[in-house]
Amino acid sequence: MINVLAACGAGVNSSHQIKSAIEEEMSNRGYQVQADAVMIKDITEELISKYDIFTPISTPDVGFKINIPIVEAGPILYRIPAMSRPVFDNLEEAIKGLNK
Amino acid sequence: MDALVSFSNQFFKPILSLGGPPVMFIVLTLLALIMKVKFTRALEGGIKLAIALTGMGTVIGILTGAFAPALQGFVKSTGIQLSITDVGWAPLATITWGSAYTLYFLMLLVILNIVMLAMNKTNTLDVDIFDVWHLSVVGLLVMYYSNDNLFLASFLVLFIGVLKFINSDLMKPTFNELVNMPESNPTTTTHLNFMFNPIAMVFNKIFDVFLPFIDRYDFDAATLNKKIGFWGSKFAIGCYLGVFVGILGQQDIKSIFSLAFTGGVCLELFSFMGSWFIAAVEPLSQGITDFMSKRFAGRQFNIGIDWPFLASRAEIWAAANVLAPIMLIEALFLPGNNVLPLGGIIAMGMTPSLLVVTRGKMMRMIIIGTLMLPVFLLAGTAIAEFATKTALVVGAFPPGLAETQMITHSTLEGPVEKFIAIAVGKFGGNMTIENAIKMVTSLVVYLGLFIWYAKEMKKRNVELAAKKQH
Repeated sequence: MINVLAACGAGVNSSHQIKSAIEEEMSNRGYQVQADAVMIKDITEELISKYDIFTPISTPDVGFKINIPIVEAGPILYRIPAMSRPVFDNLEEAIKGLNK
Repeated sequence: MDALVSFSNQFFKPILSLGGPPVMFIVLTLLALIMKVKFTRALEGGIKLAIALTGMGTVIGILTGAFAPALQGFVKSTGIQLSITDVGWAPLATITWGSAYTLYFLMLLVILNIVMLAMNKTNTLDVDIFDVWHLSVVGLLVMYYSNDNLFLASFLVLFIGVLKFINSDLMKPTFNELVNMPESNPTTTTHLNFMFNPIAMVFNKIFDVFLPFIDRYDFDAATLNKKIGFWGSKFAIGCYLGVFVGILGQQDIKSIFSLAFTGGVCLELFSFMGSWFIAAVEPLSQGITDFMSKRFAGRQFNIGIDWPFLASRAEIWAAANVLAPIMLIEALFLPGNNVLPLGGIIAMGMTPSLLVVTRGKMMRMIIIGTLMLPVFLLAGTAIAEFATKTALVVGAFPPGLAETQMITHSTLEGPVEKFIAIAVGKFGGNMTIENAIKMVTSLVVYLGLFIWYAKEMKKRNVELAAKKQH
């Protein structure tokens, strides 16, 4: 199981769209992915250490170094398949890189 | 025109009379089916909206029920009249999406977007369907004060809608700079948040001219946020505001603990339930996006999404964190304010606009925020009656409580637009010369300020483009 963390302003709208899209597409590609959605301001070093991959809309300045792979997932929010495909491809690469 | 209005009223009234959750359950399920969503998924969405509405009602009941005695004690012991419960954005959004008129305003704005794109008056394709609720609040406010004058409501929604699309284009180069996007990245937003920019720009100009040295005192936003840690999260805010109300309301220790934990639970649940109905709106959003992008196939445009692509900038959160205690103090002493900040105390309805206008200058954001939060508190007070009645109509408010209790959102985006909506609505309800003058004046000042702001933004965009060339 790959654990992915998505984040946005309220942890409710944008990040939930990213969470659902990632879980659906990655399951179609044959990966077991579980994503969570949180508010960017609630991200701590401890929280992020529990995840394998971080998928923000754009990379945030959280005040510490993020040590897990980051895949920027903003284009998923356009809801246009041709534009979100590169995000899923990058995510798939990142998953393969985990060797899990 | 009267015929059109009465036709619309006749058409929508019977639908609305069925009551909130069941109507929206049926409407949203049918809409999803029209959008060619699978039946089971359409049904899932419809049910999720209905349970979100019902759930919000239950939790609002728990929160207001628990806080009401303490707030009354608070009024008694301090003499400060802060009796409206601030439930934050999620219940307000749910309530608005519980009204079938939101779908009507959505349709107007989709048509407006298509027309403006076709006429090259905007370059933004808006796919942020969910956030139509902000303008729907404006439209519903007009209806509330005008005995359901749908024509006036439609006019104001379209008027602000046009400015929002123009604003989204104006801000695009600033967005690129703020989050390091290449020119090829189409991300922008039409969020109502940013209609506060013109006012923030007035203050920013004053800083430019008279107080430019203030920028030397800027500090690192991310470091501050890291220090604040969990104290800024929803459950913590609920807890310490519960303690605050409990102590000032002279409750006993047991009640203070109970208030604190109830506050924490309710704030967490509001946003959790908010995510249910966003999932319900999803098929609609996808359907409209497909329809619009097909119409404009081959054209390059900017794509309008919800604002949090800017949330990666730590200044938004640092400013909101610093402003939270400031707002609490302001709420206690502001004449005419009846809202005790709770669910809306992290002012996400304002700080993104401050970020864009000041381009991340912390001291300016905090000072402008301090000066402008009273406008949000007064707007929150002004819409409380409407928000409570609407919640009752859509079945998201416990009927027994409505006699004595009111709810609102203290930092709802677009405070100025709320006052304009009330002015337009009051004119619709009572067409006197005085009300007409109030309405026209507010619209003219609003538009005039926007035109000045647009000129300033165009100047800035030329500068940003020149900087890129070097």
